[in-house]
Amino acid sequence: MNPADEDDRFIETRGLVRTYRVGPATVQALAGVDLQVRRGEFLAVLGVSGSGKSTLLHLLGGLDTPTAGEVWVDGHKLSALGAYQRALYRRTTVGFIFQSYYLVPSLTAAENVALALTFQGTFGMQRSRLAVEAIGRVGLQHRAGHRPSQLSGGEQQRVAIARAIVHRPPLLLADEPTGNLDGATAAEIVSLLDEVHRKLGTTVVMVTHDEELVCQVADRLMYLRDGRLTRQQRAGL
Amino acid sequence: MRTWKIALLALGGLRRTPIRATLTTLGVVIASGALVAMVAFALGLQRQIETPIRLLSLLNDIHVSPAAGEQAKDAPVLDDASVDRLAHLPGVSAAFPNIRVRGIQVRRNDKSESCLALGMPREATLLGVAEEILVAGHFFSESRRPEAILGAQLVRSLGFASAQEAVGARLKLEAGGLSPEEDHSFTFQRKELEVTVVGVYDVPPIVPGPARSSIVLPVDLMKEVPGIHFESALAGLKAGRAAGALGYGSVTVHVRDAGDVTAVEEQIKSMGFHTNAMLRRFQEMRTFFIFLRVLLAAVGSVALIVAALGIINTLLMAVLERYQEIGICKAVGASDSDLVVLFLVEAGMIGLCGGLGGLVLGRVVSCGLEIAVNAYARGQGATEPLEVFAFPPWLLAGTVLFAVVVSVLAGVYPALRAARVDPIVALRRG
Repeated sequence: MNPADEDDRFIETRGLVRTYRVGPATVQALAGVDLQVRRGEFLAVLGVSGSGKSTLLHLLGGLDTPTAGEVWVDGHKLSALGAYQRALYRRTTVGFIFQSYYLVPSLTAAENVALALTFQGTFGMQRSRLAVEAIGRVGLQHRAGHRPSQLSGGEQQRVAIARAIVHRPPLLLADEPTGNLDGATAAEIVSLLDEVHRKLGTTVVMVTHDEELVCQVADRLMYLRDGRLTRQQRAGL
Repeated sequence: MRTWKIALLALGGLRRTPIRATLTTLGVVIASGALVAMVAFALGLQRQIETPIRLLSLLNDIHVSPAAGEQAKDAPVLDDASVDRLAHLPGVSAAFPNIRVRGIQVRRNDKSESCLALGMPREATLLGVAEEILVAGHFFSESRRPEAILGAQLVRSLGFASAQEAVGARLKLEAGGLSPEEDHSFTFQRKELEVTVVGVYDVPPIVPGPARSSIVLPVDLMKEVPGIHFESALAGLKAGRAAGALGYGSVTVHVRDAGDVTAVEEQIKSMGFHTNAMLRRFQEMRTFFIFLRVLLAAVGSVALIVAALGIINTLLMAVLERYQEIGICKAVGASDSDLVVLFLVEAGMIGLCGGLGGLVLGRVVSCGLEIAVNAYARGQGATEPLEVFAFPPWLLAGTVLFAVVVSVLAGVYPALRAARVDPIVALRRG
């Protein structure tokens, strides 16, 4: 990141450490990660399974708190926030996309999208309008009334993307969003994320192990290994 | 507004497991139904007993009788002079002898009935007797005309088609009894009277039959009935008093304000008479009914607490089943307090539906029991329907509120469990 970019810094982590206790053993998922992400940047975090990618995403999304170090998002020290303020942060600033979609099985696609709006305090006609609009944006308006079990994997992930963007969050965190999809569908999903990133100006941090898939859409690639940042490079290089 | 809308999500949670939610709610329905029916029974019983006391304003009455036992010989006689002195005590609105004559014959055309005759002062308003005790006509007039008020059952026995028809009718009364003489002897006397019916009274069916088929006559008229001094004279003779002292067995003193009962009682005792206030017995009775209500409510509450355990079980299962969903909600911005609200509302909805269902069940069960009780009562000769259960609005509202409160309290632990769910663990579980 060059000095000119520092003013536009959206995410910054300083010496981020996260350890877990698994029985008598202590597992270090992150071992001091320093990271900066510009506003509106598409960052791809690459690494093998167990390298700490998902842990980093959980910390950036306020789902987890670091063992040591700091997380700053949009000028706010996330690691100092309490449980309620972190919930408020997730509600207003973050949109999550997961590998396993995590849709509520008993709700329709539209209801799943609207669920996020309920906790954000949007109700009535506006809630329905925004949900339909978000589903339309991912090209699934004709599947709005279907339940997750009636949708393909790719369609379910599109619904998850709609749910993540319905409240127009400035930050989109995608945890292996193509991990359960075939090659063609995975490319469609990545393309859709790129479209959201470009059209809405959303900052995207996407965790994946498939470098080939993201190198065309990401602004920057970052490599994690054993919880440490090993290399960064501009995409396409 | 936001919390209210989140609360609506709870309904969706219940819809997802309809059978389990229905069975849990059914537990609350049965418990609330038992609670409301049992308390309604205690209240109904209390109302049946208290209504005549209230209608007749008996709480302000002091029952005065001559001293008995060793003090009887020198004790003052409860005669007309004593009654007059009692009536003029401070705080007293009326005093009248309790004259009751059994076996008085009442004739109307070819019909004749033997009944109990009771004496009552003409100034019924002084006694605070409620107008609603009369189903037709009015109380006695101030003039000394021979008038009578009949019990509703006696009206039917005499062949009147309705209470209204009886008002204005003229009846012949025939009474006989032993009257004391100066020489310690008694002579049998017979007397015929003609009275005009001015009113018809009725009392709740729980009051024993004779009280509902009596004839009430003005005290001044009752004094003409032979035999009214027999019991008092016999008791006086046994105590060694002169037979000529014509007294009454007992006198009712009506106090204007129930708060003065104790003070008036003290004055009467100082005159050498015995007293017995209805207020004291009524307070003892009220205490008994409070205990009965608390006991029955406690039994109902135990049932509701058992139902609450069902709610805890149902909601804990819901937390486990929706573990991942809780994680999703947290990921999209639900706070811990949102999840507490969500589960407490689910619990509250079970309580609300259960409480309302309980009211319906309690009413249905009480109706069934009332039908059975009335069928039995009719078999025993009762003519009026008996209302065994009372459902005042506070009981209905209180039962629903209690069911909701108990259910919400039952939902606290599952709600806190849901709030404590770690979203990362919950999402990984999927």
